[in-house]
Amino acid sequence: MATVKLTDVKKVYGKNVVAVHDFNLEIKDKEFVVFVGPSGCGKSTTLRMIAGLEDISDGTIEIDGKVVNDLQPKDRDIAMVFQNYALYPHLTVFENMAFSLRLKHAKQEEVYQKVTEAAEILGITDYLMRKPRALSGGQRQRVAIGRAMVRDSKVFLMDEPLSNLDAKLRNAMRAELILLRKRLNTTFIYVTHDQTEAMTLGDRIVIMKDGYIQQVGTPTEVFEHPTNLFVAEFIGAPKMNVMKAKLLYEDGRYSVLVHGAKMEVDEDHNRKLAEKGVRSRDILLGVRPEHVSLVPSKQENSFACTLEVNEMMGSELHLHVETESEERLIVRTPTVQMSEEERASLVYGAELYLNFRGKVMYFFDPETEQSLTD
Amino acid sequence: MKDTKKVKEKKVKKNRRHMSMKTKRRIGNTAIYVILAILIIIWLLPFVCILLESFRVDSPGQSGNVIPKVWGFDNYIRLFKESDFGRWYLNTFIIALCTAVLQTVIVLCMSYTLSRLRFKGRKLLMNVMLVLGMFPGFLTMIVLYKVLSGLNLTGAHALPGLILVYCASSGMGYYVSKGFFDTIPRSLDEAARVDGATRFQVFKKVIMPLAKPIIIYTVLSAFMAPWGDFIFARYISHGTSSGYNVAVGLWSWTTKTSIGTHYTMFCAGGVLVALPITLLFMFMQKYYVEGVTGGAVKG
Repeated sequence: MATVKLTDVKKVYGKNVVAVHDFNLEIKDKEFVVFVGPSGCGKSTTLRMIAGLEDISDGTIEIDGKVVNDLQPKDRDIAMVFQNYALYPHLTVFENMAFSLRLKHAKQEEVYQKVTEAAEILGITDYLMRKPRALSGGQRQRVAIGRAMVRDSKVFLMDEPLSNLDAKLRNAMRAELILLRKRLNTTFIYVTHDQTEAMTLGDRIVIMKDGYIQQVGTPTEVFEHPTNLFVAEFIGAPKMNVMKAKLLYEDGRYSVLVHGAKMEVDEDHNRKLAEKGVRSRDILLGVRPEHVSLVPSKQENSFACTLEVNEMMGSELHLHVETESEERLIVRTPTVQMSEEERASLVYGAELYLNFRGKVMYFFDPETEQSLTD
Repeated sequence: MKDTKKVKEKKVKKNRRHMSMKTKRRIGNTAIYVILAILIIIWLLPFVCILLESFRVDSPGQSGNVIPKVWGFDNYIRLFKESDFGRWYLNTFIIALCTAVLQTVIVLCMSYTLSRLRFKGRKLLMNVMLVLGMFPGFLTMIVLYKVLSGLNLTGAHALPGLILVYCASSGMGYYVSKGFFDTIPRSLDEAARVDGATRFQVFKKVIMPLAKPIIIYTVLSAFMAPWGDFIFARYISHGTSSGYNVAVGLWSWTTKTSIGTHYTMFCAGGVLVALPITLLFMFMQKYYVEGVTGGAVKG
């Protein structure tokens, strides 16, 4: 039961290195919010300020309506999981998990009951008497999560908890986190640099760059309606193709001129562009790799390019192509409907014709890099 | 057939090479052990001589023979019955113990603070202390004497005076233990603080258990320095026997007039002085080595 509210939160290191600029966010009770962004974007710093491990240079942080700026971490009623697990090496798994309860002078039965319960949920009952060094990375991370779980705290903070695990384990743990979250039913703030984690875990995603919030929204919102070029490129893998293009406005209808091909813009975008009063202009056109279609021959609404790399991903191909103006694009195309000959023809240097669908194009201002529609 | 023969020959050759390696290693090892044995003898000889002399009761002065003609504990008994040695020993022990405790507390607090907290002037403070620490302590001798005599902590009252001197600048010896604390990940502190610990609880419950080797190292070095100190003990007690520590006391017997009658007692005293340190080291050796090299490998 807790809301977290950040108002104009700022973090300045030294005299003028600003790590976080005027961060404003209201996190609802039981919400799972993910801070995501490249390294150095201020996401961890923000989380650490919420935890009380970093001083707040300006602004206020409220937990459950109470300003916690000057409270020690121990008085904020939060639990935190660290990237490097931060288990106490001299204590057994049981004592690691019981640490916070012992500090509170909890009764022995209560400690036993809470720790064994958490251990059962996490499947680490067999290791309770071991020292952390005798555990694998995945097991250690479970212990770290368990240690946070037994505290029954208002807010659960996680600082890149999966980034020390190998890819396979990370996927498994991600699924477990989703289940765990349902079970704990508390407020989560999760920091990651991995957009897949952000998309799969978060109710809402906060995308950050250089200490500024770029966009806050549900996974679908940030994926389908990125407010700027950075968000568009950051969310989605492989990342969105961006190319220089011209937006044409003729007789109340919009179309895009890209690499000599003229492509119609769909009704929805037409309306949005018209509402914003956009006229013919240079734009940056964004198209996700999965929204690029291969067409058999050159038409008015398609353009030619050369195949450079063909990555076989199993159920789909990632084609890296180069346009005539030497822009590089990625095309994601499913292999299911492809004939053997078609597949065999996709070799280095092959000429391909590409086309975009108007419904899934993104338009950005080349200067401000802001979306022209959202 | 031919092939198998060749293979056999090869095997034999291989074996021969293997044998020669083994012999070489054996010769090398033997040489090393011989050298080490000689070194041990050279190092231990003086101690053995002192030990033997301490049990010699045929004459109290120096004699030509190291191995006693008559064996006995007389020297040890005389130490406590006929001289102030008991007092000196107690003095030294109290000083060393107090210094060890106080200095360990000061050094550990200092180095943990310097390792974990960031405050204005931290770097400057560390550098200044490092530079100051490079000057030998006895440079301050005259000033210290003036201060201590003003406080009436010299002569017969040298005991608290000496403890004060030994502990006063001990914070400057933060360097080794700070290096050790630096290797303990900060996220452990942070995890404990989030878990509900105060800064002091973090230090006591998380850092101290992990810093055992460096604590033992600090205790040992803090105990040893005053245990064998001569310079400060000598001039602060300035000739008052009841304020002596063992080093000063034993040294007072080495004058021309008293060496003749106190030589074997001197040896017995030496043995008793070496005893606690030797025992301490024998039991703590494992941790001592860990403390010195401990920072190298992260657990």
